[in-house]
Amino acid sequence: MPLRTTRYLPLLLALLAFAGCRDAKIVTYRVPKEAPPPAAANAASANPHAGLGIPAPGSGDASAPANMASTPVPTAEGGDLRWTAPANWQSRPGSAMRKATYILTGASAAEQAELAVTAFPGDVGGNLANVNRWRNQLQLTPIDATALAADLIHLDVGDLHIDYIDILGPDAPDRKRVLGAIVPFNGATWFFKLTGPDALVAARKTEFVAFLQTLKTP
Amino acid sequence: MSEVRDSFIKFFTSLRVTVALLALSIVLVFAATLDQVNLGIWAVQEKYFRTFFVLWDIKGFPVPVFPGGYFIGGLLMINLVVSHAYRFRFTWKKAGIQLTHAGLIVLLVGELLTGLLQDEFQLRLDQGQTRNYSESYRFNELAVIDASDPQWDQVVAIPEERLRDREPIQHERLPFRLVTRAYYPNAAVQMREQPGGATSQPPPANRDIGAKLAIIPLPLTYKQNERNLPAAVVELLGPGNASLGTWVVSTMLVQPQTFDYAGRTWRLAMRFERSYKPYALTLLKFTHDRYLGTEIPKNFASRVRLHSADGKTDREALIYMNNPLRYEGLTFYQAGFDNNDTTTILQVVRNPSWLLPYVACVMMGLGLTWQFSIHLLGFVSKRRRTSA
Repeated sequence: MPLRTTRYLPLLLALLAFAGCRDAKIVTYRVPKEAPPPAAANAASANPHAGLGIPAPGSGDASAPANMASTPVPTAEGGDLRWTAPANWQSRPGSAMRKATYILTGASAAEQAELAVTAFPGDVGGNLANVNRWRNQLQLTPIDATALAADLIHLDVGDLHIDYIDILGPDAPDRKRVLGAIVPFNGATWFFKLTGPDALVAARKTEFVAFLQTLKTP
Repeated sequence: MSEVRDSFIKFFTSLRVTVALLALSIVLVFAATLDQVNLGIWAVQEKYFRTFFVLWDIKGFPVPVFPGGYFIGGLLMINLVVSHAYRFRFTWKKAGIQLTHAGLIVLLVGELLTGLLQDEFQLRLDQGQTRNYSESYRFNELAVIDASDPQWDQVVAIPEERLRDREPIQHERLPFRLVTRAYYPNAAVQMREQPGGATSQPPPANRDIGAKLAIIPLPLTYKQNERNLPAAVVELLGPGNASLGTWVVSTMLVQPQTFDYAGRTWRLAMRFERSYKPYALTLLKFTHDRYLGTEIPKNFASRVRLHSADGKTDREALIYMNNPLRYEGLTFYQAGFDNNDTTTILQVVRNPSWLLPYVACVMMGLGLTWQFSIHLLGFVSKRRRTSA
């Protein structure tokens, strides 16, 4: 072949330099203001998931948490858990790590409990740490592993091993109750946490447990 | 000069070059198919096909190890075009072959244009939600938003790559400089109060939620149904390099972090790269039918309302499998669903060259039909002559 490759070397080098480039330019634009985030959402201390796209209970802002597309749980593989929620639970949009939100209303519309479905990579510290985190939110002292074993109720639903707990907050006019379920699935931990006024949450406990029974793997 | 030209022509009209290039492309496709297990479809396309050379990272330096798709495809196209120009002469008898080859050229050009011009985004809509932007599947940005105006947000969108490069970022619209102090291409952020190894570390940042978070680096994922969620610690520096504080930014943090500086209100948000449109889509209803008694999807469809900012367009459309919505050069495909069937996921594609593969297929189909017909007619008339 009469071609001398040196002639084409500059061309090859130019092609090489061009390979795999993406123009990472800073762009500026003006857009109509979006719905503002709930006040001090990221700094809120009452909600441990504040800033992780999880609105404070009763924030009532359905659009704000969905500003960002809901993202997959980094370690979860092969899809999400599925469930069937009762028709009288009002669904709210999901967000980053919040897979679903439901509002359960009591006798009046103002009396509301919130069921948050979240998923985090790994075991998030284990059952004891997670239960104590919930207790901390209710201003309760932490418990030890023995007390946890007595309080935790185990449910086997299909291939899923579910642990749930009923935690009653300290005596106060607006006494709170948390029903929390922990479901390890596919390298991630799913939390189903119903928070709200004691009377309302206690009245819906059977419904909550029945809801857990509907959990299915994809 | 004519010597160079002749050697060019001789080289590119050679059938050996065609065969060599086809053999190389077989090896390339084979290697890419195997590597898809490790990298997933996106990364494989970028690494093997939409590049001139397949690069291997050897001790931090990208080293070309094999010709990539653009290189082989480009040479094949030159080979085809030059052969047409110099070797083939038009005759009606060979018109079919030439039309088929022309179709092949159109197909190659179409793929090149798709690779260069196609944009793919995702639009997630919850039932009842309206959005006027779509989000990138792969690219992320740090949005620094001047939110002082009650009606408008002035956005400075910094691509993730700029954070990764760690060069200080100064922009005419920002009264501060932004410096990346730490960058994680894929990371989870969790509250520090959650007991675990990460919480024994000091807080990664001193402003807003960053003081309460722990960043847990994760290995990069190449799976098709997952994406990397980058996080970074950024410091803002005012005049004289006075620090305004450090913030944790992550695509996992949904709410922007707000602060006041220089008499203005600012928001920081790491998010999927956005592409704003002069129109908006509202999800009216999402339906997901399954075959009776099974979980096998039968049909999923999104009824959306499309309304433009200028008020000229306001109509409903039904998007379902193989029935996308086409509007202003964009195609909205039904791609998925989420959140117990209350969220629809639309794939938004801009591909100005989407018609070319169809044109190429028609040309090749016609060319082959023409060629086979000529052969068939020749064969039939020959038989008639023999039998007569």
